[in-house]
Amino acid sequence: MKTIKVGVPVFFILFSIVFLIASLNLPKANLGNPNAPIYFPAGLSVIMLIFSVIYFFQELKNLHKENEYIKQILSGRTPKLIGFTLLFGAIYALLFDRIGFLFSTIIYLGALLFYINGLKKWLVNIMVTIIFSFASWYAFSVLLGVSLP
Amino acid sequence: MSSFMEGLSMALEPINIMWIIIGGFLGTVVGMLPGLGPATAVAVLIPVTFGMNPVSAIILMAAIYYGAMYGGSRSSILLNTPGDGSAIAATFDGYPMARKGQAGQALAISAVASFIGGMIAVVGFIFLAKPLANFALEFGPAEYFLLMLLTLSAIVALSIGKMVKGFLAMMIGLTLSTVGIDTQTGVYRFTMGFPHLSEGIDFLIVIIGVYAIGEVLYNFLNIDQQKKEKKKVGKVWFSKEQWKRSKWPILRSGPLGFVIGVLPGAGGSIASMIGYTTEKQLSKKSEEFGDGAVEGLAAPESANNAASVGAMIPLLTMGIPGSGTTAVMLGALIMLGLRPGPLLFEQQPETAWALINSMFIGNIALVIINILLVGLLVKILDTPAKVLYPVIVLLAFIGTYTLSYSTIDFFLLLVFGLFGLMMKVLDFPIAPLVLALIVGADMEQNFRMAVLSSNGSLGIFFSSGVSIGLIVLTLLSLLYPLIIKLVKKRSKNNVLDDEIHKTS
Repeated sequence: MKTIKVGVPVFFILFSIVFLIASLNLPKANLGNPNAPIYFPAGLSVIMLIFSVIYFFQELKNLHKENEYIKQILSGRTPKLIGFTLLFGAIYALLFDRIGFLFSTIIYLGALLFYINGLKKWLVNIMVTIIFSFASWYAFSVLLGVSLP
Repeated sequence: MSSFMEGLSMALEPINIMWIIIGGFLGTVVGMLPGLGPATAVAVLIPVTFGMNPVSAIILMAAIYYGAMYGGSRSSILLNTPGDGSAIAATFDGYPMARKGQAGQALAISAVASFIGGMIAVVGFIFLAKPLANFALEFGPAEYFLLMLLTLSAIVALSIGKMVKGFLAMMIGLTLSTVGIDTQTGVYRFTMGFPHLSEGIDFLIVIIGVYAIGEVLYNFLNIDQQKKEKKKVGKVWFSKEQWKRSKWPILRSGPLGFVIGVLPGAGGSIASMIGYTTEKQLSKKSEEFGDGAVEGLAAPESANNAASVGAMIPLLTMGIPGSGTTAVMLGALIMLGLRPGPLLFEQQPETAWALINSMFIGNIALVIINILLVGLLVKILDTPAKVLYPVIVLLAFIGTYTLSYSTIDFFLLLVFGLFGLMMKVLDFPIAPLVLALIVGADMEQNFRMAVLSSNGSLGIFFSSGVSIGLIVLTLLSLLYPLIIKLVKKRSKNNVLDDEIHKTS
């Protein structure tokens, strides 16, 4: 937990530095002041760096304080729930255009429901998957005229 | 006057009344779900507005917003779990009322208080909107830049106790707003070679990511501990005695909430807390507060609904969202081709007035929905979170797809969902990020235009009374947490002095 608490401000510090370097290396403008596109992001990165350093010292001071949420996120089945929701989402993104909205949605929603709600509630999971997939397809594609693959 | 009447007739069109009812109901349902507030409700339901004409869309979104405000307090009263920050005060006395077997009375008084608070605010809106829009027409780039700065600083200042995190969230939002082609010079910035990013990061994706996916992932933290608590509601109406005790708190808190809502940064949460504490101080039965005092529920409910209407004023008249939810709405409006701001009242007055009039109708529809359909709404609370959350995630994906018809955005959505989760876990306020992302590009352009018009001199920011006023307000908003701290310290010292005096 301490690693995360210190790691986050360190990440912010590094991000600010990288962003500052990237800002200073932005191409110059051909119109008007050549440095005009640089000022704002460069200014932002400097201010962000200052706040990141303050944040770092604040976290150092509060290192002994427990963060219940960090503990929770790392324990039990929470990390798996988060990980699989994101993973299923990425797979959904890959399937969406290839097999179309309806099939990919049935697979995605079904997988997510079975994973989160458990196998025992199979009937509810299947019913919700089928009803919601068709209802959303009908609502968006037919009623709202959204073009779905 | 003709624009007002035109707006009224548009709002009264049967199709728009239907959208008000649908939006109010959907908003109430999403707002009722613990952990999902008005911002999430609007973000998740944005896709419903696609393919609609802008007037109907704006009316629907406003109805979703108010619906979610009503819904948030349903779960406060019945489950002691507020739907969002502005519904927290409703738990103080609403839940004790429900525990005493007065759930029906609590639901009714909260609906009626919200209705009256909302109505008071709509009347205020009608009188204030046009003068404010006219005032905003006088603004130049320097004033606009300073106004945006004030809005951002006010929202950061309200993250009392975590201001550094608030500033960092704001900086991230501003940083993200710099991605894409610079509109003044055509220079590509931070696109990392992805043509998809040349038009910038769509803030709706960020909004849906952090509010919808992020909230769902965050709710996974205790998804297995969520208990089902079945409530008996009983008759949904209140006694004469309860009304007698509530009417003045409702009438006092409405205008108070409205004024707080108009201020940038201050939203429903602050309005409801101020409404609650004010009534507690004024009440002759203050000892009953926290134990099911009906005025302790009525006052914050009136105040937070009035604040939500008030928050629409800076959004519509100046194009400046003052809260997370109005920022989400601004994003959706821009996507629909509407540009809120003073020119909205000049160029599309009927749209602005149709929205204002729809608030009247929306308030009436919501009070009816929340009293007549309370049984159905309570049943929805029984739907397991484990079924609802996957459905919300799916809605977020569909919403994202309809923005640009590109599945590349799905990956961005997941990234921002994870980012939203981290922000919640690490206790970063989300509203400054969203607000900064939305106003960031305009802020930069206005800053540059102002400096350009004064040949590079920063004196332009001190050249008018409005500018100086805005700078003073910005400084005051940043000093506000320090002042609060000092006042608290002083009152603590006074108490200590009194104790010492007594004992000596």
